[in-house]
Amino acid sequence: MAAISLNKLNKHYGSLFHAVKDVDLEIADKEFVALVGPSGCGKSTTLRMIAGLEDISSGEIRIGGKIVNHLPPRDRDVAMVFQNYALYQHMSVYDNLAFGLRNKRVAETEIRSAIDRAADILGLHELLQRKPKQLSGGQQQRVALGRCIVRNPQVFLFDEPLSNLDAKLRARMRIEIKRLHAQIPTTSVFVTHDQIEAMTLGDRVVIMRDGYVQQVGTPLTVYEKPANKFVAGFIGAPAMNFVDVTVRGDAVETSGLKISVNPAYARALQPYDGKPVVMGVRPEHLALGDGAPGSSFDARVEVVEQLGSEILLETRAGADSITVARVPAETRIAPGDRVKVSSQLSRLHFFDPNTELPISG
Amino acid sequence: MFGEQQRFVLLLIAPAALLMLLFQVVPIVIGANASFRDWALYNPKKIWVGLAHYHSVITDPAFLYVVLPNTFLFMILSVLGALVTGLALALLLNRPFPGQKIVQTILLVPLMVAPVIAAIMIRWIFNDQFGIVNVVLEALGFDGQPWLVQRWSAFAIIVLTDIWLWTPWFTLLLLAGLQSLPKEPFEAAAIDGTSTWRVFRYLTLPMLRPVIVVCVVIRAIDAFRTFDIVWTLTGGGPGRSTELFSLYAYVLAFLNLDLGRGSAAAIIGGLIILVLGVVMYRLVDRIAKA
Repeated sequence: MAAISLNKLNKHYGSLFHAVKDVDLEIADKEFVALVGPSGCGKSTTLRMIAGLEDISSGEIRIGGKIVNHLPPRDRDVAMVFQNYALYQHMSVYDNLAFGLRNKRVAETEIRSAIDRAADILGLHELLQRKPKQLSGGQQQRVALGRCIVRNPQVFLFDEPLSNLDAKLRARMRIEIKRLHAQIPTTSVFVTHDQIEAMTLGDRVVIMRDGYVQQVGTPLTVYEKPANKFVAGFIGAPAMNFVDVTVRGDAVETSGLKISVNPAYARALQPYDGKPVVMGVRPEHLALGDGAPGSSFDARVEVVEQLGSEILLETRAGADSITVARVPAETRIAPGDRVKVSSQLSRLHFFDPNTELPISG
Repeated sequence: MFGEQQRFVLLLIAPAALLMLLFQVVPIVIGANASFRDWALYNPKKIWVGLAHYHSVITDPAFLYVVLPNTFLFMILSVLGALVTGLALALLLNRPFPGQKIVQTILLVPLMVAPVIAAIMIRWIFNDQFGIVNVVLEALGFDGQPWLVQRWSAFAIIVLTDIWLWTPWFTLLLLAGLQSLPKEPFEAAAIDGTSTWRVFRYLTLPMLRPVIVVCVVIRAIDAFRTFDIVWTLTGGGPGRSTELFSLYAYVLAFLNLDLGRGSAAAIIGGLIILVLGVVMYRLVDRIAKA
């Protein structure tokens, strides 16, 4: 059993920089949690505090119910995968895998069978006698994963482990990590700045900004019900369009577009009648064509991005730039074309321009 | 003949090349020429004698059984001693503590002392009548020793002086090496529960090895030609028992004024350093590639 519990966790660097602010987080046993946010948001610092590599300024960390605030890393029974692999370059892959166990004076026969098991899972058998320098980035990261597995720790910590890999390899390693977690269910904390990694890997996603936790939820929750404008903009690719609109009865408008909102939103927007709000609409919830009555607006195509499977359009409606996704790839369209763009009315988001909190319908 | 860029490059290296030629190549050629001739300052016949000087140097029992062993022993002990103490100090300085910068600066002081000055200080410290060492020993009830007129104590004092002088150099370079090591493997080791000794033995030392080897090669070649501290401390004595190679050549050429034989000795020394240097650089290369 190794639930992790963070309680009012803070990290100050000197008196000037407050990196992590009052972070509360409960991670269940065997859960896979992804910490995501832009660089400098405190996610890596939080992870390093869990590992014991950074001191805690205030607050409490429990692993498996035990307070570990002042325990050195080796007594926390955690294993960590680093962004740049942190392999011991002068040792063979086998010795890299064995190092942690030899620290604990485990018998060599036991070490051999533990490494065999890990090599089976990760396909490392042919690499065991090589030096890390002779391996590709993906192979090195698999070795780093292996080094964690053989120790059979209570907790896996991942510090942006895929950031140094190219896009294709990253996608493959993502699947491998996901499969690994299914095979060896272990409490895992995964730090990344890539929201796709966070969404695909995490049972739950924790979005951080400026040291604060913005939202904790399942991938679907943070996508569908973002806790604020920042989360709405951060989660989802391509990113959500934000348009400053003015509420006029049961419609919202700008100089370039006017959209009727459905009754639930209209009620919620009533207090804002005549006032500005921020409308958020995901590119994938926009389509070319008329759509439902009152849901469409005129736009001019500025950029056409042909992806093969679909087209991404950068369009302009009045003063606002709006991205449209999921346009069929075979659509004949060119910059300068005038198009009608319709939105899925039930999937609009509205945010208070001052608090940036959602105005929920 | 040359393009404009090449002419410019040649112009840039010309001063350095000229200086090298004047002060390195020309003296070596003159010295080599002298080593084949009967060329004593008091009777400069300059007759060609072939390898006679070389033969007399390498069959000289003093050279074979005292000077060469002394030189290599000095080289090994001095480099090893300064390496070990320098590494220990670098490891201590590598972890921050209050006043670390001050300690670091103080440790560098021996580097700023001219070797001759250091040797004179040490000579007085170990002076058998007025030296502080004997004063302290006698105050404690022991007998004072004539430190610098017994072969092995004199030799030990020479080695210790050299270690004292060169430890900061090792500390400085090894500390720079330590601070340039990547942090992550050490963090991974901390999480893996590695003891301090195992971190040193299996991470720090292997990762630092290229720096260590380069330091040792440079210092070993340098130690081979040590002259000043031995000359000042013992003058090669008692007798010739602490004579090192450079003293041997110096005495032949400038005290006995036999420039021919002195040059032959110097060239033999040069060849030894050359071979040693090549072997050690091969070693560096192999270790760097490993």
